[in-house]
Amino acid sequence: MEIGWTDQRIELEKELNALDQFVIDFCAVLDKASVRFVICSGYVAILFGRNRSSEDVDMFIQRLAPDGFEKLWTPLNASFDCLNASTAKDAHELLRDGLAVRFAHKGSVLPNMEVKFPKHALDDWTLEERREVLLNKHTLFISPPEMQIAFKISLGSEKDIEDARYLHSLLREWIDEKLLSEMCRKLKVERQLKLYL
Amino acid sequence: MRPLPDIDIAELEKAKKENFRQRLEWIDFYADWVRKTPNKVWSKQQKKLIG
Repeated sequence: MEIGWTDQRIELEKELNALDQFVIDFCAVLDKASVRFVICSGYVAILFGRNRSSEDVDMFIQRLAPDGFEKLWTPLNASFDCLNASTAKDAHELLRDGLAVRFAHKGSVLPNMEVKFPKHALDDWTLEERREVLLNKHTLFISPPEMQIAFKISLGSEKDIEDARYLHSLLREWIDEKLLSEMCRKLKVERQLKLYL
Repeated sequence: MRPLPDIDIAELEKAKKENFRQRLEWIDFYADWVRKTPNKVWSKQQKKLIG
């Protein structure tokens, strides 16, 4: 794997799959609208080569007031269908209530982007500490790998633990083990960290 | 249809654990392969599999 890894950003060139392209298309709209976002799901493992698909990609975006969200809704609607709200107002109400709003390419249902406002302190931290990825020169932002691994361990399903193990094994020279341990301590999964990684 | 056999749950649990252990071993093997394989090669195979 050829990968450029610095404190500033991670650079990766690969043959894009349909999920990569969907993520790039969606993130481009957010980027253009200057909306802060972070991808924090199984897609992060897929981005780095894990061989599985996913029907949705989880993302936090910065909290927006109704008028700010309306400004994002218009360009999003040009390329994507919102699957569970028909107006900006409805979508914003869902987000405000801590629920997800899903977007897919026009006329499609899968894959879809599951967008949420940050709800917990950990969500805010992830949005703040996001890592920039240049994927074939397209800008994405992902959660710090240490957080991704710790959170996957805390989710606890076999699929999630496999994602965590894959990222840890693949990115071992860049993982801050101290930070990972600290995150696992906070998430109360230190035992699982030792058991599975 | 033949009657269902008795199921030894403990044995089944043991097999599930062993299967998961082998999956994790495979994940390590695959991650090592991705690490030493050019992006063009592994991503082409990934695209073929997941579309």
